[in-house]
Amino acid sequence: MSAKRPSRAFSPWSLVRAQWLPLFTLLLYGWAFVVRPEQAGAALAYGAKAFSSVALLIVAVMGLVGLTQVWISRDAVARLLGREAGFKALIISALCGTVLIGPAYLIFPLLMSIHKQGARWAVIVTVLAAYAVKIPMIPLEIEFLGWGFSLTRSLLTILFAIPCGLAVEAIMEARFRND
Amino acid sequence: MNNVALIYLILITVAYTLLFRRSPEKTRQSLKVAQNSLVKLAPMLIAIFGLIGLFQVFIPAELIQRWLGASSSGMSLLIGGLIGAIAIGPPVAAFPLAGSMLDAGAWPPAAAAFVVSWISVGVITLPIEVEVFGLRFALARNAIAFASALLIGLLIGWLL
Repeated sequence: MSAKRPSRAFSPWSLVRAQWLPLFTLLLYGWAFVVRPEQAGAALAYGAKAFSSVALLIVAVMGLVGLTQVWISRDAVARLLGREAGFKALIISALCGTVLIGPAYLIFPLLMSIHKQGARWAVIVTVLAAYAVKIPMIPLEIEFLGWGFSLTRSLLTILFAIPCGLAVEAIMEARFRND
Repeated sequence: MNNVALIYLILITVAYTLLFRRSPEKTRQSLKVAQNSLVKLAPMLIAIFGLIGLFQVFIPAELIQRWLGASSSGMSLLIGGLIGAIAIGPPVAAFPLAGSMLDAGAWPPAAAAFVVSWISVGVITLPIEVEVFGLRFALARNAIAFASALLIGLLIGWLL
């Protein structure tokens, strides 16, 4: 029996790496239930209640994520950012950044390819900074942090995006002068 | 509060229905992406809400007030930003965590710095960024993103 294995070897380490947070939470709960069962039960009930209050919203947000990923093509975004020159490109990149969604490890290579096509460093950083706005997620942010907080944070993040881009670009170009 | 969710869900459903007429194939693909990201995020989200429960019950509010409260403003801003920079996870997770910090008496600028640096500063993803863009770019971008997270936090506190 022990010799029989699935064709793709199952590695516990990859499970730990992919799901470290759920496993860590389970461990904490295990510990809490042993040490203080009553409080652990209260914690579980609180978490479940908080989760059920936003479950519907999470489903809706993921629906929007699906739409943006399929209908807004990454290529089109890349073309627009790569070809535009001057300040207009920075404004476009700030706007594009706000609607971009997806894990950073997908965004980084995409932006690097745009840079290689001739986009300035400032464009890349501006997209990455504006990427923190996350327009599709704003309803969730409002739910937890309120209108004032969420809108102010989004607005400030957009305003900071272009100066951040220019600052990093200045650092990058200083490097080439030194070389 | 669930009305917001309901309206949002209805809008998304309408968008799916309209787009389905234009291209059933692409719409099915969208639905699949949505389903996949939901399934992929589910364990993480459940864990986050489990952590929030523990956080609420086991960490006394006085501790949050001491670490992240207004009385030690400069320090709490820095701590909020640092926790956000080290943490990784979807932004969806940062919002409820920041909300429970605020409920426990955290200084709003510290919570704002936490959210902004959670999303835009990635200490854990730094190796990927270095590999793609190079060391100088990755360090410069993260340092400036961290500084602006603190500034945005301060400005939110000042504006609200």
